[in-house]
Amino acid sequence: MHALDWLIVAVYLVYVLVDGVRRAKGTREIEGYFLANRSLPWWAVGLSVMATQLSAITLIGTTGQGATDGLRFVQFYFGLPLAMVILGVTLVPFLHGARVFTAYEYLERRFDARTRSLTSFLFLVARGMSCGTIIAAPAVVFSAIFGWSLLWGVALMGMPTVIYTMIGGVQAVTWVDVKQMALIVFALIAVMVTLLMQLPVAPDHALALAGAAGRLRAFDFSFDLTNDFTFWSGLVGGTFLMLSYFGTDQSQVQRYITAKSVDQARSSLLMSAYWKIPLQALVLLTGVLVFVFFVFQRPPLLFNPAAEQAVRAAEPAMYGVLDERYGVALRERETAARAVAVARVRGDREAAAASLAAFRAREADVSAAREEALGLARRVTGTSAQDVNYVMPYFVLHFLPVGLIGIFVAAVLAAAMSSIAAELNSLATVTVIDFYRRWVRPEAPDAHYLLVSKAATGFWGLFACVVATFAATLGSLIVVVNRFGSFFYGSILGVFLLAMIPRARATGAFFGLIAGMAAVGVVNFGAPSVSWLWHNVIGAVTVVAVGMTLSARQASPQ
Amino acid sequence: MSDTPAPDHASRLFRRTLLSVMAMQVATLLLLWLLQIRYTR
Repeated sequence: MHALDWLIVAVYLVYVLVDGVRRAKGTREIEGYFLANRSLPWWAVGLSVMATQLSAITLIGTTGQGATDGLRFVQFYFGLPLAMVILGVTLVPFLHGARVFTAYEYLERRFDARTRSLTSFLFLVARGMSCGTIIAAPAVVFSAIFGWSLLWGVALMGMPTVIYTMIGGVQAVTWVDVKQMALIVFALIAVMVTLLMQLPVAPDHALALAGAAGRLRAFDFSFDLTNDFTFWSGLVGGTFLMLSYFGTDQSQVQRYITAKSVDQARSSLLMSAYWKIPLQALVLLTGVLVFVFFVFQRPPLLFNPAAEQAVRAAEPAMYGVLDERYGVALRERETAARAVAVARVRGDREAAAASLAAFRAREADVSAAREEALGLARRVTGTSAQDVNYVMPYFVLHFLPVGLIGIFVAAVLAAAMSSIAAELNSLATVTVIDFYRRWVRPEAPDAHYLLVSKAATGFWGLFACVVATFAATLGSLIVVVNRFGSFFYGSILGVFLLAMIPRARATGAFFGLIAGMAAVGVVNFGAPSVSWLWHNVIGAVTVVAVGMTLSARQASPQ
Repeated sequence: MSDTPAPDHASRLFRRTLLSVMAMQVATLLLLWLLQIRYTR
């Protein structure tokens, strides 16, 4: 990277740190530290909700997914607007009106202390681990691209975030999120415009090429339980996942209970619903345009430079043959693509159709060579060689102009830091409110709780950084943690749904929660081909069914 | 002057936001659908 790009990254880091720390005023009590005295405007809360959910891996991984797999991932978010509307009229008024610090605090009022403690414990385990993976994923990419040690990448994202979150509390998290969100959107639009300007064909022809390669297929209406991304899994499974995530996960709940009123809290959620699908479509479409860009510019056989070096060293002859074959396929694909554009400009429909068919065939050759190279890398490195997370960084570092590279890297850091900050703040809140104040020191001055809260933020920051270094070296741990998290999400949602049913009882809620997790466990291990999005539906439905059955037995006379 | 808006104003804000959310989703899905049927052969 050019010195100017490094300067932009440095300025961004210093600005975020200073801006976050100066938000410390007004946080002398825990109400101010954790809830900003419930004074934040809805638009700031809405942007914070969006920034929290948009992690670094969205910017580098989802764009890569758009380049290699097209738009179909957008279906994952189809349930989000529906979930936000449902939450706006159900859980949000409950939680905001209950004047609680954490979502789980409400469960004790409605049921009992054991249900509250179990759900908050599950949150701490799942979120503590996932916070580590949020740091690890971009740190691994940075270390592979820049040749840094992994610790450098972890420290670059983790340290400033821990400092401003620890000192400034939720005020710092929210107001820094607002600026980070603006930076992320600006960087995405700038990359999109640059891409369109650098393409040698008109946007209409570029879309025709992307469509011919299957990259514009956004809807899949097949009802296939084993397929992760279909219209139905997104709409049904996605709705349950988003209901659970935005309705019961403290890292999200804590964003909107800081709003001034119930209406402002739900308006902030609706703002997130408003932008989520268009924003994800923009991210994926940027990836699709990167795919078209690489039709006219030679991409590497393997995008992960570390994996490529390892394969070149271990299997030089085999890699050389594959690279040669790949080069020939790329040249033929480019020739076919240019023929498509020429035929379309001339308005020759038959020639355009023939060229598109040739383009599709050459695209299949390119994909086959890539698949073989990825298989070779998997054998050599012994780990998953999928390089989808390296496509966008390769494009950014090799083809974006000086200045924009720095802005994009700063945006990736912003995306990572906004997610980490919200998670650290919520982990500290649950630790202090649901455990320390509930079980260890129920009566203490605010100054004491504030001190413990800052210490808890520091502890979880350190914990996340340690998990990040392990998650990165073990590789598959990221998958394990995601699957582990999906054990809980649906079941926790089920408990909150039970809380809104007047006839539900505490024993039903507690054992329903355990039954929900057991049901997801049985499906996970007994039918591993069932997509994890459906786990959320299974968990929630089981908790409500078992919880209501036990509650009915408890209520009926023996 | 109070920072908290009056309830009727707040409800109007919620209803207006809800309508614009739905309009935006329909527009985006329609655009994606048009992209798919126009360019995917």
